[in-house]
Amino acid sequence: MGLAVFLVAAAMAVAGGIGVVAFHEPIRSVLSLVVVMLALAVLFLLLSAQFVFVVQVIVYAGAVMVLFLFVVALLGPAKELGRGRLRFQPWLAGLFAAVFLILLWVMLQGVQYRQPAITDLHIFGTVQWIAVELFTKYLYPFELTSLLLLVAAIGAIYLSKRSIEDL
Amino acid sequence: MSIGGSQLDASWFLLLGAVLFTLGAIGVLVRRNPLVILICIELMLNAVNLTLITFSRQLQNPEGQLFALMVMTVAAAEAVVGLAILVEIFRVRDAEDIDDLSELKG
Repeated sequence: MGLAVFLVAAAMAVAGGIGVVAFHEPIRSVLSLVVVMLALAVLFLLLSAQFVFVVQVIVYAGAVMVLFLFVVALLGPAKELGRGRLRFQPWLAGLFAAVFLILLWVMLQGVQYRQPAITDLHIFGTVQWIAVELFTKYLYPFELTSLLLLVAAIGAIYLSKRSIEDL
Repeated sequence: MSIGGSQLDASWFLLLGAVLFTLGAIGVLVRRNPLVILICIELMLNAVNLTLITFSRQLQNPEGQLFALMVMTVAAAEAVVGLAILVEIFRVRDAEDIDDLSELKG
């Protein structure tokens, strides 16, 4: 059962990833990325990460990708012009990717998996479990993350506001 | 370790994460549209998230999931600022190729 779910979700994720890279219209790349995110959400559930699954569907596939869709709709259907200034860049990129994937594969063969200290999966990945960790031990990184979001929001407002005044 | 009550191993998830990350890297290197390059960066961040959550499940440790949540926050912030810059550039001129934006190379 778990293996079948994994194989289907992994096939969808890889197909969506190829679609992101291969489609020429940006709107199709965005929709392929939504497919990847939903397939990864299924895998998160398979890994008993319930809260991250919900966040992935609502925030990531829901909010962030809608932002991308808005921008694609705003900028219009921009097709790619073909090759850039570096003629050998696609071939070099393919070579780099092949070497990188082989390197990752070799490193995965050498991973020694440590046995976990606790084996209680009843509370693993629940909202309560995440929240207790997030608001006690990791409160400082959590607050820094909220600061990062504030800075990003102010930056986006500043960028768009100045261009409106220029018009 | 078995995940999902079968012979599913953590290395399968790690391999899938590696493949997705490599696909995103190919996209960043090959595609010419700046918007698609941002999308490919999102794909790479998602692959990293899968790896983090796999290790979280393997070690039954909350840190992987918490870090995955923070990666999502960073990805959202990156998308917001990157898209705002992109919209600003497209208002001034048409930049369909990333090579049109190479004035900052010095």
